[in-house]
Amino acid sequence: MNLGISALKYVEEIKNGSFTVEEFISNTIEQIKKHDGKLHAYLSIIEKTIEQAKNLDRKIRNKEKIGTCYGMPVSIKDNICVKGAKTTCASKMLENFVAPYDATVVSKLKSEDAILLGKVNLDEFAMGMTTEFSAFGPTRNPWNVDYVPGGSSGGSAVSVRAYECIASLGSDTGGSVRNPASFCSVVGFKPTYGLISRYGLISYANSIEQIGPITRTVEDAAFLLNIISGIDPNDDTTIDNKNEDYLLNIDAGVEGKKIGIIKEMVSQGTDKAVVSATNDSVKKFENLGATIEEISLDMVDYSVASYYTITSTEAGSNLARYDNLRYGFDFPLEGYEFNSYISKARKNFGPEVTRRLIVGGFVPSAGYAGKYFLKALKVKKKLTDEINEAFKKVDFLIAPTVPILPFKIGEKIDDPVALFLIDFNTVTANLTGKPAISVPFAISNNLPIGIQLIADSMQDKSLLQAGYALQQTVKLPEVPI
Amino acid sequence: MEYLVTREEIEKVAKLMRIELDDHTVHIDRVQKMIDYFDILDKAGIESTEFDVHEKSINELREDKHIPYDDVLVKKLKNFKGNYIRAPKMV
Repeated sequence: MNLGISALKYVEEIKNGSFTVEEFISNTIEQIKKHDGKLHAYLSIIEKTIEQAKNLDRKIRNKEKIGTCYGMPVSIKDNICVKGAKTTCASKMLENFVAPYDATVVSKLKSEDAILLGKVNLDEFAMGMTTEFSAFGPTRNPWNVDYVPGGSSGGSAVSVRAYECIASLGSDTGGSVRNPASFCSVVGFKPTYGLISRYGLISYANSIEQIGPITRTVEDAAFLLNIISGIDPNDDTTIDNKNEDYLLNIDAGVEGKKIGIIKEMVSQGTDKAVVSATNDSVKKFENLGATIEEISLDMVDYSVASYYTITSTEAGSNLARYDNLRYGFDFPLEGYEFNSYISKARKNFGPEVTRRLIVGGFVPSAGYAGKYFLKALKVKKKLTDEINEAFKKVDFLIAPTVPILPFKIGEKIDDPVALFLIDFNTVTANLTGKPAISVPFAISNNLPIGIQLIADSMQDKSLLQAGYALQQTVKLPEVPI
Repeated sequence: MEYLVTREEIEKVAKLMRIELDDHTVHIDRVQKMIDYFDILDKAGIESTEFDVHEKSINELREDKHIPYDDVLVKKLKNFKGNYIRAPKMV
């Protein structure tokens, strides 16, 4: 059985009777048992999935109504709530937290008969770009287990690439879906802000984060977007997408489209192999009938500082709720004064979360808000103005998803600024609310390179069409596991 | 290296954030590096830029409805007494 098939192929094969849901789920669980000890994509496995599969097989045999996922195995980043399942955010602080409700995206997947196999690893509270900051140990890149898989949705990307599920949901605050997608050679899609409900996503930086699919193909991302997007009364920031069918006409192509290369994102610090892949992708688009021009977005140079200032500030507020009273771990109350108890309990945050909380307390504080936080908001506004101007001239923007190739575990963990700069090409889409996709494009020294496309707000469908066009120009090797 | 923000200022904020620091040197050094990097914002030339503030009136918010929930949520917590969360004494 080929566990590496796409979601659409899976549905087709189930409909044809090539295999049963139970067979596919059983084989996928075997794959997890065989490889996840080394890769560490999963933090927990959800129980009774075989029973769910059997039940769906029975419905299929009896020709009963069944959801569009037909029992497709999906993994869920462990900062998205699944009722009755542990939702740890890869943090000691939530080690034993069992979600009492389903996130909207999870309800929607369940209603379409997806089978949720388990919860996957991330940097603690999604703060990181390597999945090294998980309190439960790093996830490893299936292309080379000595290397990081990217992050923070590293567990999602690895589970998809290593055939431990067909698709996954991650969250993208500054590139956390696209970055691991690029590092693991899978598709990562961050929608327009508001297109997918955040209800049930444990908050880190509400004003810019979005849930997004991680899949093997662009069509699969469109298929999942059809299921999980749309307005939600539980999330006041959601947008009515009028039940757009993102899969319809996915092969529309890019002939006559204008694509802008973001000058600042292919600069001195970009790895030569990444520059070469970007140039190749541009040529492919030209061959497909698109026209290319260079676009400059001056504010990109300040975007990472703006991003970290804003997200740390929001994190400082969002994570204030973790006091070990409502959420926490075994730690007796007796003998402590209120404030010292909370301080002691909050020591259970990992080092990166601790640092960002301190930064998040500092940058908006009296005396420093004008220097940091207000300037960060101004950069965000000016960057949005610049990108809106750019979209008056071009249909899409293109850049490498990450300026560098995947690197060894531990290589950059001690240098916060080096880690910041991994986000250089991805935070722009978050700060401006634009949709963006990372498409697997090349392999260099056995390590993947992804190409990022960005579109104007609510142009998610045409962005998927452009991503599909690029995907069809490349044939990449299978992951060596 | 000379930093613009002092260790004492960072330590004060950490205390206000109710964060107890064991490994003082490592945390403070890295936080200083992070904040130092943010000084790049001074060069952005955005002094005249005005940012939008999105306001919503209370009438635009969804109705605050009671949603019945079968389980007693407080019992999912480690420290509770009756219907109350137990917390340490505030002295």
